[in-house]
Amino acid sequence: MAKTSHDQADELLPWYATGQLEPADRALVEGHLVSCARCQRQLAAERALVDQFQAFSPEVDSGWAELRGRIESRPPARPSIADSLRDFWHALTRPVLAAFAAAQLTLVALAALLFQSLSQPTYVALGSAPVAASANVIVMFRPDAREAELRRAIQSTGATLVGGPTQADAYLLHVEPGARPAALQKLQQDSRVTLAQPIDGPAQ
Amino acid sequence: MIVNGAARRPRTDAKRSSSLEEMALLDRVRRKDLRAFERLYRIYQPRLARFLFNLVQRPQLVEEVLNDTMMVVWDTAGRFRGNSKLSTWVFSIAYRKAIKAKLRWPDPVEEPALDTRVSNDPAPDEELDQRRLHDALIGAMSQLSADHRAVVDLTYFHGLGYREIAEIMNCPVDTVKTRMFHARRRLRQAMSGSLFDWI
Repeated sequence: MAKTSHDQADELLPWYATGQLEPADRALVEGHLVSCARCQRQLAAERALVDQFQAFSPEVDSGWAELRGRIESRPPARPSIADSLRDFWHALTRPVLAAFAAAQLTLVALAALLFQSLSQPTYVALGSAPVAASANVIVMFRPDAREAELRRAIQSTGATLVGGPTQADAYLLHVEPGARPAALQKLQQDSRVTLAQPIDGPAQ
Repeated sequence: MIVNGAARRPRTDAKRSSSLEEMALLDRVRRKDLRAFERLYRIYQPRLARFLFNLVQRPQLVEEVLNDTMMVVWDTAGRFRGNSKLSTWVFSIAYRKAIKAKLRWPDPVEEPALDTRVSNDPAPDEELDQRRLHDALIGAMSQLSADHRAVVDLTYFHGLGYREIAEIMNCPVDTVKTRMFHARRRLRQAMSGSLFDWI
């Protein structure tokens, strides 16, 4: 059974709507559209679908839903680095620990080691890759953001890329602590950025 | 009365400017330049992730299939002769890998993720309509088979023509057209009451 010209044109409408038809096909569709109100209406529906699909990102929705779930099921806030450090120095004033530190390690080396483990970000769960201790900003970009845009966004804040992309497609940056608030603000204003948050907090 | 032609072209501006860069990168990849390969990876990752998620629907599987795909690109870059576009070649590898993966992991039983945010402030009508449309589209797509979803995604989002889709999915052009025809009908049915009401 041969296809009618209506069927032939209708079949090609999606690619006509996206401008992806070769000249012969395009001529066929345009020739038919002149006299077919149904196809004209259908073409409008196709264009609406194209628009919908530009905004439709199920992989981002799914990723976001998963991450949001993790955040919302977290236990309540932990003590800050400042509190933990205070506890540490308090402990060091006790004779036993002080003696240990003096006997085995320099105080500076011990403090450095403990500080490093205390400052490890809790966003390890976001990816299978180990998180560098110096990452203090996490940023996520739109899925259609291009590599040049990512580079510009990161460079404009003076940040360096420390890790990522993680499984949740997040990037981990390091910014000088003093420059962090300004950097976060700049990233949050970038239309390519979907998330820009500081990373703080002690390890679990 | 001639009806005006194409709607906004999805992604074609990106296509034109990136193909030269991609070919230059591929050339370096042939010589086992890892940094060039990383750049190519980052260029393709968003599109591939979207295409693959649409097909396999499991986020963890997406990353695995994506990396398996790019691994093939790394290993066989020398075999790409430029008979088709680089993206067609990469996507056809990805499609093959995705189909194989789906045989190991059938479609998940759970519903695809919906935005379940509940807002206490009354949303402006436009935003509510958008969300409803969005959810309707998610629901409609989930009722299609993987191959139907692939044709729909490659057409409306990636902006490919039916010949290129046929190459990627390794099927006749008529099959692409038929799948699209049926997919559109299903989408219309599933989305009736939202998108197509105001047409």
